[in-house]
Amino acid sequence: MPDSHILLVEPEPMLRRTVAMTARSLGMSQVHEAATNDAALRLLRSRTFQGAVVAVNCIGSGADRQYDLGLIDRLRADDTAGKTMPIAIMAEQATAELLSALRNRNISRVILKPFRAKVLLETIEKFGAPPRKS
Amino acid sequence: MQVAAIPANESTRLAALYQLLILDTLPEERFDKIAAFAAQEFEVPIAVITLVDAERQWFKAKVGTEVCETGRDVSFCAHAILHDDIMVVPDAAADARFVDNPLVTGEPHIRFYAGAPLTLASGLRLGTLCLIDRAPRTLDALDLGILGTLRDLAVMELARREEQHDA
Repeated sequence: MPDSHILLVEPEPMLRRTVAMTARSLGMSQVHEAATNDAALRLLRSRTFQGAVVAVNCIGSGADRQYDLGLIDRLRADDTAGKTMPIAIMAEQATAELLSALRNRNISRVILKPFRAKVLLETIEKFGAPPRKS
Repeated sequence: MQVAAIPANESTRLAALYQLLILDTLPEERFDKIAAFAAQEFEVPIAVITLVDAERQWFKAKVGTEVCETGRDVSFCAHAILHDDIMVVPDAAADARFVDNPLVTGEPHIRFYAGAPLTLASGLRLGTLCLIDRAPRTLDALDLGILGTLRDLAVMELARREEQHDA
């Protein structure tokens, strides 16, 4: 099995399963699935990851509606590899506020709807690739 | 048009298919979801979960077509179940097996076809999860991996049905 471990946080089971199973069948990184932020935090406590792909949802309503970046903040505040590991975000749309918030959190990539397994797998492939020698 | 050969294990294959008691049943969300996901993932107008019966192919789940079955003699899937690998026809109009097939010359005007065989643990291939487009195209290794996974999910659902009837 590959040494690289990627965390995938996505509530939709078929997309999550498809990505994890395809990554396994193609010998890519090992994808660890989490349906919720709580499940993701449990996984983060159990091992080190080389990257994460995280679906972020809106919370609140009306003018107060904003993306919940709590998990990203937890990751970046972490004293472990989470502080620097590459993270991709899955979001419904790229608002100016979101893009600004993501820049401050050093997010590698924003994936917008409709979410396709192929795009997630391409992202995971990049995260799992060994660093290029200079 | 080239009619597909009959698999050597046809009687065993049909027995396994009939044992599932799935032919001519109502649509089920768990299969519909897989077909819908495949159509969206690959951006194809038609995605179908087919089961190849003695004289026909019957569609357990379908996106982009109202047809629920066709004759086995014109079925692409009858060809696909002859092998373990995913069968890809990049351009049916340039393929001697299908160029004059009525599903190519008429509705739904198939040009591209990819069928992943639904292979049970026993090795019997009952049908396919297939993608159809009206324009030629190809699949890369990642696409084939994803289609194979969706096929595996469909086979898992068939196996669950098998367990229910064995219980």
